[in-house]
Amino acid sequence: MTPALSCEGVSVRYGTVEALRNVSIRFEPGKIHALLGQNGAGKTTLARFCAGLVRADAGRLAIDGDRIAPGDVSEVRSRGLDIVHQRLTLPPGFTVADALEFSATKKKGRAIFSTSAIARAWGDEIRQAGVNASPFARIGTLPIETVQSLEILRALSGHARILILDEPTALLAPGAITALFERLRRLRDTGVSLVVILHKLQEVLEVADTVSVLREGRLVAGPTPVAETTSAGLSDLMIGSSGRQSSGRDARRAVTTGAPRLEFDGVTTVTRKAGEPGLRDVSFQVGASEILGVAGIEGNGQRQLADVTCGFARLASGRITLDGQDLSVLSAEERRRAGMRAVPFDRMSEGASLETSLWENVTTWSAETFRIPRSPFLSVRAMRDRARHLLNGLGVRFSNVDQLAISLSGGNLQRLILSRELAGGAALLVAAQPTRGLDFSAAEFVLDCLGRLRDDGSAIIMMSSDLDELFEVSDRLIVLRAGRISGEFTAPFDRRSVGDAMVGASR
Amino acid sequence: MKAAGHGMVRIGAPVVASFAICCLFFWVAGYDVSGAILGILEGAVTGPGSFRQTLRWSIPMLLIALGFMISFRTGEFNIGGQGQLMLGGLGAVAIALLVPGPPALILPLAIAAGIIAGALWSAIAGLLKLLYGADEVITTLMLNFIAVLFIQWVTVGPLKDAAVRGETASTRKVDTALRLTGGDGVSPAMLAVVGFAIVAAWLISERTSLGLKCRLIGANPVAAMWQGIPVRRLRFGAYLLAGGFAGLAGALEVLGPNGRLVTDATPTIGFTAIVVAIVGMSNVPGIVLAALLFGGLQAAILFLPIVSDLPSSGLRIVEGLVAAIVTSRFVHLRWKARSPAPAGGTG
Repeated sequence: MTPALSCEGVSVRYGTVEALRNVSIRFEPGKIHALLGQNGAGKTTLARFCAGLVRADAGRLAIDGDRIAPGDVSEVRSRGLDIVHQRLTLPPGFTVADALEFSATKKKGRAIFSTSAIARAWGDEIRQAGVNASPFARIGTLPIETVQSLEILRALSGHARILILDEPTALLAPGAITALFERLRRLRDTGVSLVVILHKLQEVLEVADTVSVLREGRLVAGPTPVAETTSAGLSDLMIGSSGRQSSGRDARRAVTTGAPRLEFDGVTTVTRKAGEPGLRDVSFQVGASEILGVAGIEGNGQRQLADVTCGFARLASGRITLDGQDLSVLSAEERRRAGMRAVPFDRMSEGASLETSLWENVTTWSAETFRIPRSPFLSVRAMRDRARHLLNGLGVRFSNVDQLAISLSGGNLQRLILSRELAGGAALLVAAQPTRGLDFSAAEFVLDCLGRLRDDGSAIIMMSSDLDELFEVSDRLIVLRAGRISGEFTAPFDRRSVGDAMVGASR
Repeated sequence: MKAAGHGMVRIGAPVVASFAICCLFFWVAGYDVSGAILGILEGAVTGPGSFRQTLRWSIPMLLIALGFMISFRTGEFNIGGQGQLMLGGLGAVAIALLVPGPPALILPLAIAAGIIAGALWSAIAGLLKLLYGADEVITTLMLNFIAVLFIQWVTVGPLKDAAVRGETASTRKVDTALRLTGGDGVSPAMLAVVGFAIVAAWLISERTSLGLKCRLIGANPVAAMWQGIPVRRLRFGAYLLAGGFAGLAGALEVLGPNGRLVTDATPTIGFTAIVVAIVGMSNVPGIVLAALLFGGLQAAILFLPIVSDLPSSGLRIVEGLVAAIVTSRFVHLRWKARSPAPAGGTG
């Protein structure tokens, strides 16, 4: 059978990152194909390549067996392929009818139009598709699943026969997911070929006919009929086997874990952002001289965990204490005074201010401590000296403390952040993805710093999407899934069971 | 030193270019260009009493610009200097006219009242922004109009000078004992107050934890938040300071050259001051120089029609051009500072 959609030897690079490496895949018509993988595995890149939105460095795309010029959106669309993006694109201020009219693939471009005619035409289509929305309602006032249904309607209005959906379940409540899957099955039965990006195993097993797994830009399996797979097998494919030798950090572990310092007791939060689960009844402890690893696929509550610990988000219920002190009543500033420190998720946008000098990046937060005695004024010289001392202490390569942080390389910038956060010790460190994007030696340096801090008696929460790294440094491990703790492990860790807890597989 | 030299070029070039373009206009329009240049110099610097005029106009611009700078460094674009100036004038004039007492007590009290009134007016916009997210560009601009109407009401109503007839309403004159200067607006006392304000602005913005934290907030509010810096509280503090400096400018107008509160006395000063702050590259020495430049222009604008047939609006071209050239490069800084941090990639 001629595949509805096929890719041949596709490679895509973003700068130095290889998003896709020589991927060849063929999707048969009239089926629901799941594309599975962790964050950063290359799913979205593959989808965007198929939709003509990303140009590949190498490789070919064919629809119904005909080759398509790379990166040509309108050609792809005219061949009946459309994509529903992860972030919904209908303009929130428009009415439903207007939004559909102006973003649909139909070619109707009339300069002057009648609002009521548009509303009538789209009202019929909306009703036929079984979507419960008035053509006059504003997009921004509708529930997210309705907007998503409208996005699918928009994509199909151009008579698409191949539809790609990028993580359509990410934003939806469980009930809405069931309804979405029902809609996808009906579409399949009318002959539409669907490629659906998912990262939850249960969803794949529930809706898909075939499944393909991407890992680190490579196609590691598929498309395989879902009936021939098991959740455990898919979990292994997604998570992969260990790629790295342990550096023997364990052997250097000299200190044993002490009394609990940080305690989460039934912490529940509410988020306003769609697609970011709040924490639900999360309880754990981190002791003195302990690194608690937090594993989980990104977007399962890690950011909320950092936010409530650092004081950027409120608790709906529960308690957080540090050394017996109730943190939930303290501001972020007061928590830092109590010894809380943090390495933010993104060092460029959150960890440092790039257009600011090195000395200000390191010392401004604690400016009060540089007051000239008996005056409200600061000694800038003392601040610069302190910054120089701290930066040298962590081996940051710089020529003078007045240079802007933007001049530092990634590894150096992370050292700057650590020099600020680790200065004077910490009761608690929240390290969010502290090694992401760093080369091997820079990452090792960061992990060594965390190890030393642990040996000095600090409690450390370490979030990472790199399981090998978590296994290497963590004393204990919790796994977050959909805002809940889905597994708790102690060293030595079993890769399979941690992976199963991450993706929700059962054996 | 190198950076300072670079700064001089960056600011000097648009100023020189603006003058050149302005001269071109004069030449095309058939005016005597060399006469015009001499007239400008005479009006701003060399003529008898000209430099005092330059100083007189520089002072309110300078003070408002210093306040704007403090607020701008936190990333807030508080353009309500004009309204805050007028409210500051009202606060000062109310104390000076209504509260009896020895001048040595009432004068500082009137200045303080001006500062507080300006700060409170600015606080309205600050609260609207920080509690409800109302864009401060809109609110401060609108508050300017409200201030104008409010002052109009005050000067034709509660504080009306019964002796004045005609279009322009104003309050009674402030007692001479409470005046810092005569009509020319310059005196040792005035310069001392202004000097003190300049030093205070520099110390606050460069040598206090508030100033340094505000600068970090302006450069990257998300990074500041992660470092436990109370972003909203400090931004609100910056609103108060901005309003306070503008309020001081208003108080000094009333207690100095104007001697009373007049509606529409200085209708554009608050806006020119924003240009002064931006041309002065948001640092105190730069703002002092820029204030002198624009104060000189203002003096020349008032002087030229007296000695020549040049329309003074010709010089407004210089003012406008400098503002346009310099701000066009500044706008991207502002928007860059405000745009949300890039989200991490997914998939």
